[in-house]
Amino acid sequence: MTLKLAFTLEQRSDHFCGHFSAMASPCEILIDGMDRQLAHIITQAAVNECQRIEQKYSRYLPSNLMQRINTSNGKPVAIDDETFRLLSFADSCYQLSDGLFDISSGVLRQAWRFDGSDNIPSHEQISKLLPLIGWPHIIFDQQHITLPKGFELDFGGIGKEYAVDCVAKICHQLNPTQSVLVNFGGDIQVTQPRAKQGFWQIGIEDPNSQQDANKVLRIASGGLATSGDARRFLLKNNKRYGHILNPKTGYPIEDAPRSVTVAAEHCIQSGLLATLALLQGAEAEAFLKQQEVKYWCYR
Amino acid sequence: MQLTKKGNISAALAAATCSLLGLQAHAEVADNSWQIDTALLYYGESDRVQLAEAVINANKDFGDEHIFNGKLVIDTLTGASATGAVAQNNVQTFTRPSGNGQYDIVAGDTPLDDTFKDTRVQLDAQWTQPLWENVRGSTGVHLSKEYDYLSLAVNGSLAKDFNQKNTTLSVGLSYAFDSIDPEGGRPVALSKMVLNNDQFASEEAYQQAFDATRLPGSDDKTTADVLIGLTQVINRRLLMQFNYSFSSVDGYQTDPFKMLSNVDQQGITQNLVYESRPDTRTRHNIYWQSKYAMDNAIADVSYRFSTDDWKIDSHTFDSRLRFKLSENTYIQPHFRYYQQSAAEFYRPFLLDGDPLPQYASADYRLGEMTAYTLGFKYGIDMGNGEELAFRLEYYQQDPKNNGFDQPGALQQLDLFPSIKAVIAQVSYRF
Amino acid sequence: MSKLNKTRLSKISAIILLIQLTGCASLGVQPWERDLLAKDAMALDSEGIDLGLDDHIYFSKEATSGGRAFAGGGCGCN
Repeated sequence: MTLKLAFTLEQRSDHFCGHFSAMASPCEILIDGMDRQLAHIITQAAVNECQRIEQKYSRYLPSNLMQRINTSNGKPVAIDDETFRLLSFADSCYQLSDGLFDISSGVLRQAWRFDGSDNIPSHEQISKLLPLIGWPHIIFDQQHITLPKGFELDFGGIGKEYAVDCVAKICHQLNPTQSVLVNFGGDIQVTQPRAKQGFWQIGIEDPNSQQDANKVLRIASGGLATSGDARRFLLKNNKRYGHILNPKTGYPIEDAPRSVTVAAEHCIQSGLLATLALLQGAEAEAFLKQQEVKYWCYR
Repeated sequence: MQLTKKGNISAALAAATCSLLGLQAHAEVADNSWQIDTALLYYGESDRVQLAEAVINANKDFGDEHIFNGKLVIDTLTGASATGAVAQNNVQTFTRPSGNGQYDIVAGDTPLDDTFKDTRVQLDAQWTQPLWENVRGSTGVHLSKEYDYLSLAVNGSLAKDFNQKNTTLSVGLSYAFDSIDPEGGRPVALSKMVLNNDQFASEEAYQQAFDATRLPGSDDKTTADVLIGLTQVINRRLLMQFNYSFSSVDGYQTDPFKMLSNVDQQGITQNLVYESRPDTRTRHNIYWQSKYAMDNAIADVSYRFSTDDWKIDSHTFDSRLRFKLSENTYIQPHFRYYQQSAAEFYRPFLLDGDPLPQYASADYRLGEMTAYTLGFKYGIDMGNGEELAFRLEYYQQDPKNNGFDQPGALQQLDLFPSIKAVIAQVSYRF
Repeated sequence: MSKLNKTRLSKISAIILLIQLTGCASLGVQPWERDLLAKDAMALDSEGIDLGLDDHIYFSKEATSGGRAFAGGGCGCN
């Protein structure tokens, strides 16, 4: 069953804005120029691509690839080329982060629910889950993936950014001469600089603000992504538990910034660097400085 | 923390991103560098002119479509060129264009002047950039210098894109100034060639007689061109270009090395007369080019019609078909056909006793002719934007008599010999 | 200008006008259909160096030049 996602198309002073909801986020496609037909085609293609990725990789949808993998019970599951590339990328991220970025750590969510309450899980709950985490135990090649019993995969850490990049790639193919901005809830990719003023001016949510205040950002080209969520935490005995979990200990990373925003060539690079920065805890700024990228770190 | 161990992971992450998204890493680096095209060309006519030419063309995109193009051409020309005089059944003697010395042409041969030896240097520079939305401007300079010839030109053009860049309209202007200063001076129009058959009392007397047929100093001409072009994308595979150009030349256009034979009723040359051409020429060209992309080939076909007030009309048909042989090689056959009518003042010879016309030239290049070129090019894509290509072509000109009766002895002589040439070229792009 | 040339000229301008009128109507492709046209070999001047060399040869061997680009000045080539 495939429900067609609805979208709206709005004409603005010098561009079109396509709008829809997907991946639990408001999604925006800004298309430079005044060609309504082209804007319509681009937005439709973006919706289709976004929906395709969501249906294939969402953990919350029944009978998709993720569910087949996560309920495989130790048996190999056939995968396609795209999934192989995503797994290879996740593998690189695991290596580059010395095991801090681990897409098998999603099971910890069974214990941690960051709802602003003081429900800290017990040590027993955590230690029961730790044996079900560990990327090196997962075997995959170009055709198959095999998870140990009880293991689960979750592409949540890279899925939205990956979708932004895939959609941006399609937008660029459809409109190679004009700028298109893809914005999925603050994860952004711009295909090329705009014809006239060069940059896009967009409002993004300020993670430091408890209100819905936006800050205005100018972006000419490349990707931008934010990790961290000021509203997802637990508070007990005046100690704040952020939602970034260390897969090795099962506990939140201590002294992590509330949010990190990174600008890089591609959205998924930005997202990864932002997430890896959070995983460095108190060393986040030092890590970001070493990466020689533009970043905004909020504590 | 592992900071010191891992350090900067951006590069590794960028590489992982490229393979995830199926992108080519560092693809943009090549675009910003210079693209250099080089070529060596040999052009050789059997028994006549040989030309060796070297080209270096440099192209750079400085970003935002600000493009510079520079070109350097050097060529050297040697060999013999037809003078316009007709063949005879006896040995003919000619005074060299400089006045210093003579040369003989054996019976039955088309008279050729073998004193040609020249080196030419050409420099071009062109700058193109967007001016307003959908409008590009381009401007350039051109210089060509030989021992006895200088050509300077400036050009400027505007191009505007319409219809989602499917239509481009362009207007361009070019203005050229040419100056010629041949050794020995320019001949006086239609003056008789002075031959030193020891009839002069002294060397000074000969020199005086020769100088009387000469104009001292240099002369020049100017060329103004207007070019209006329309480029249209027809569909995903087909692209067309239409040009109209108008060209107005004003000044010295006579070839100081060309002459006409003055023959009697028996076809025997009585004397030789230096040619004379009008000093204005107005020309219209229309040009159509089409490129069609097939799955494994690209066809490039063009047609040009040209007409001018010298009454020369010409038709040029040119076609290239690039076949992809493999992922990185192609072969490209080339066929060109050319046909022109004679200038109204063209005559293969003058008849002794007839009144001298105001203008006359026996230069076969102004006479009626057809020509064709047949050849092929083989190209190898070496990767990293490098390409190596070889071109080999055969060019033949067949001059025709456009209705002149050949008196007496001239009937048995070939006054309109074909010219056969080979073109060989090696080019390398990096 | 002779009569002949005048009729020719008006014919030429009529052709150009006609091309302009039909040119913008429905011809062309969408930006994403430019895959084939975007190839280097499909550029109108993809053989730029060869064409420049050929122009020089034919300029000095035939009575007509220009059309594709400016006829411009020249050389004293024989």
